[in-house]
Amino acid sequence: MCGISGIVHSENFGRSLLNSIKNLEYRGYDSCGVAVIQNGKIDLRKNIGGIDDVNLKERLDQMQGKIGIAHTRWATHGGVTQENAHPHLSANRKFAVVHNGIISNYQQLRERLLSEGVCFDSLTDTEVFVNLLEKSYTESNDLEQAFLAALQQIEGSFSIVMLSSHDPENLYCVKKESPLLLGLGEGCNYVGSDINAFLEYTRKAIVLDEGEYVILGPNEYQVRSLKTGKKLKKNVLHIDWDVETSKKGGFSHYMLKEIFDEPQTVRQAMQIPKEQIVALAEMFADSSRSYMMGVGTTYYVASISQYYFSALAECYYSALSSDEFSVVDIKQGDMVLAISQSGETYDTKTALVYAKECGAKTAAIVNVMGSAISMMADQVIMQGSGPEICVVSTKAALAQTFIMVRVALELGLIRRKIKQKDYKKFQNEMQEFSEIIEIVLNEQSGFVRNIARDTSHVEHWLFLGCGVYYPVAMESALKMKEVTYQHAEGMPAGFLKHGTLSMVESALHTLFFVPPPEQKELHKRTLIAMEQVKSRGGTVIAIIFQGDELAQKLAFQSINLPVVSSLFAPLLQMIIAQMFAYYAALDLGRNIDKPRNLGKSVTVG
Amino acid sequence: MKAVILAANRSARLSPFIETRCKPMIRIAGQYILENTVRFLKAAGINDILLVVNHQQDLIRNVFESGQKHGVNIEYIVQNELLGIGHALNLCQSSLEKKPFLLVYGDVLTDDNPYLSILQTYTETDKEVAMVALPESSKEFGNVYLDHEMKISRLIEKPSGDQANYVFAGMFVLFPNIFELLEMFNNDISRCYEHIIGTGGLQACLWEKGWIDMIHPWHILVANQMLMNSWETANIDNSAKLLGHVHLEGAVRIGPNVTVESGTVLKGPCYIGENSYIGNNSLIRNYSAIGPNSTVGYGSELKNCVLFGSNDIGRLSFVGDSVIGENTTTGSGLTTVNHTAEYSPVICKTGHGAVETGLIKLGAFFGDNVKIGVRHVTGPGSILNSGSKIPDSTTI
Repeated sequence: MCGISGIVHSENFGRSLLNSIKNLEYRGYDSCGVAVIQNGKIDLRKNIGGIDDVNLKERLDQMQGKIGIAHTRWATHGGVTQENAHPHLSANRKFAVVHNGIISNYQQLRERLLSEGVCFDSLTDTEVFVNLLEKSYTESNDLEQAFLAALQQIEGSFSIVMLSSHDPENLYCVKKESPLLLGLGEGCNYVGSDINAFLEYTRKAIVLDEGEYVILGPNEYQVRSLKTGKKLKKNVLHIDWDVETSKKGGFSHYMLKEIFDEPQTVRQAMQIPKEQIVALAEMFADSSRSYMMGVGTTYYVASISQYYFSALAECYYSALSSDEFSVVDIKQGDMVLAISQSGETYDTKTALVYAKECGAKTAAIVNVMGSAISMMADQVIMQGSGPEICVVSTKAALAQTFIMVRVALELGLIRRKIKQKDYKKFQNEMQEFSEIIEIVLNEQSGFVRNIARDTSHVEHWLFLGCGVYYPVAMESALKMKEVTYQHAEGMPAGFLKHGTLSMVESALHTLFFVPPPEQKELHKRTLIAMEQVKSRGGTVIAIIFQGDELAQKLAFQSINLPVVSSLFAPLLQMIIAQMFAYYAALDLGRNIDKPRNLGKSVTVG
Repeated sequence: MKAVILAANRSARLSPFIETRCKPMIRIAGQYILENTVRFLKAAGINDILLVVNHQQDLIRNVFESGQKHGVNIEYIVQNELLGIGHALNLCQSSLEKKPFLLVYGDVLTDDNPYLSILQTYTETDKEVAMVALPESSKEFGNVYLDHEMKISRLIEKPSGDQANYVFAGMFVLFPNIFELLEMFNNDISRCYEHIIGTGGLQACLWEKGWIDMIHPWHILVANQMLMNSWETANIDNSAKLLGHVHLEGAVRIGPNVTVESGTVLKGPCYIGENSYIGNNSLIRNYSAIGPNSTVGYGSELKNCVLFGSNDIGRLSFVGDSVIGENTTTGSGLTTVNHTAEYSPVICKTGHGAVETGLIKLGAFFGDNVKIGVRHVTGPGSILNSGSKIPDSTTI
């Protein structure tokens, strides 16, 4: 997802354009840029980094002019480099374009243009389009005709805004399968990927429909159909709401939005090319000693992975919290995997530097392209989960865990610990998993909320599980602490009788992560612990799988999940615990997306 | 934009309160449900309302008239035969001028303005929108599936017991082509919604604040609690008289010309409607809503109850977890027993059979114009139909 915007005739021009993409930053923030017409020429400034960083480097806010376009990028294809950032210029620098979406046939077009002698600065599809424009213009000498002629040659989904020094009064915009809206001001018009781009300046908007293009001037606009060329009459909408709400796409909080994104993020994680997953698995297989590290949630992702490596590939790798990584004596030939959503986490970065200095091979799973960690590691998997805005990590953590399951599976195959037949079965289960999440999110939300409401007053929780469900319990307890400010402690269920059981009384609530009954040994051990709590008057709440009557009898309240393979059972419980924490925090009226004292990416030591 | 409010239906399960009024005219915490709806619509900038009526429509017409008092224009449309939502909506076609409109089921109650949110979603997406909520139990309602873009991806009309989904909250922004769909699907509104969902066009708007669609009489108590929980301040009318040693706590709301005699304790949130009288040494506990023109006799205790108005509660009574219809009077010494001896969930014997309420505490439901003599004890979950007369319980 990227954000694009454009402005025709505005006071305080540079600042307005900058604000417009600043308000789209939640759509992506790995690089950005602005192009304006100044003295008849296009002035282009772009760079990598968040919008504030780029502004410091490039002083976007001080750009002068009356017409311009801007872009904030979230890379999905192509690296995060200054060249790949938008806007893109044509070879003669008379056209600039910002683009959101994908031009699917750009490879052929690029080759054709190369053969015709066009030179390219970047590898992007957008640059192909802007040069098509230049070519078409030399043929027709008419900007509108050139725009339409270039559009006719491209396929895919896109919204595009074009700026040309041939026409310093108008922007040319088109919408196909990616969103685009117009904003109408007084003697000043706007265009943007969504309403937030211009909500600060005008509350009058037009939503463009499929296959429409617009010539947007300071006082007028013409919307026409791409197919027929006919002028269209559009409804002008009057908007009276706050910017924050609309960014969340109708959800009350980013956290809930991001939880509902999870089926999508798992599909994305499924689409990471197999070669990348295998390459990481081979790094594990080829190294004498391997370590996984993260901090906070990502440490728990690493801890969960330990169990998957053990179950699927019969090998053990330590999971370490990055801030304690110096305890390890890294040697040449060792391998270190870092997990980080932002790719800027200070502790993880420091540990990675240390590992590299000691001669270790390094790998990383990262969400933000172009981030420090993604640039440092030898082998990087981009998880592609899209921007995660809520400080509390949900979808990114799930995607990381899912990717680690894929790695463990490949390693199992490499080490010949799983049979081809089982491997196939697991692959199929993976394919179906996103759909199961969808069902669970929808069909269980009511139960989860009711239990969360009933128990939101509880100040002390024990989250308990056996085997892989133990790190899941730890991660879930962290979610609970982060977002509700209530105390929750994750621990192995078997730990209870070695001390903690003395705390149990009726006010103490426990949340049990109960494995499916088919995992006999784990299931039995978990039930014993539930029995221990129940018989001492503690309150037992359990996340169980349908048909598990034994567990249901022991629980005061339970959330019954549909039966899934034991491979994904822990992940499903992780999702339920995220929702549980969300609804508890909602009931308590907490600042869910920005809990007190916390920041999204911890870039300090 | 115009709004269509559906207020014609007769919800039989709300007996004994539904025979004498329609659901939107149930008065909770001093306000009719419909009043709440109209007030929120007005605040969201909607001034033109089509009100579809039938059952007990005079009550609505008498209170709302042309809408002028509430700052809106009301056009009444009579649905002579109760043939469902689709049919009711169809009657409004000519008044809607082929423009998008807001469809509101008149019997749902919220504790904050949902129309601002639904209109925001509509303006932002330019799509048809359905408000969705997450109720305590979703078995009674059509369930919906949401995808990551807040579009509705599936509709499940009759959910099984092991599901608890988001449900339609009874508020929609619809486009005029709904009338073509209604024709195509024989006025079956669910199939119309399904069609819109199938063609990728129904956006959800999520309502996470209070929402209730009352099905059974005890839901009136839940709705009353929901509204009162949203009160942040106390409010006592200038003309109210609190005569010495009246103790107040929390969000207590007292209307005009109310008299509270000395020694009475009022624990908020609670509400006393205009012209009411509360005798000495009474205890009005939280979630008590005493409708206008009522009298509560000396030394009585009220807790979690809704009195619709013009009630007379005799002295030394206890009314708890109960709903008392309009113009109903009870003699002195009434006790509404509000739990079973074993504290098991109360089973309510309604006209439609015994219903398990799931509630440990539940008192009685008296319809309108009930006259109860002195010294009576009602069991948990008892129901008295409107107009019942119970003579005094005398021992000599």
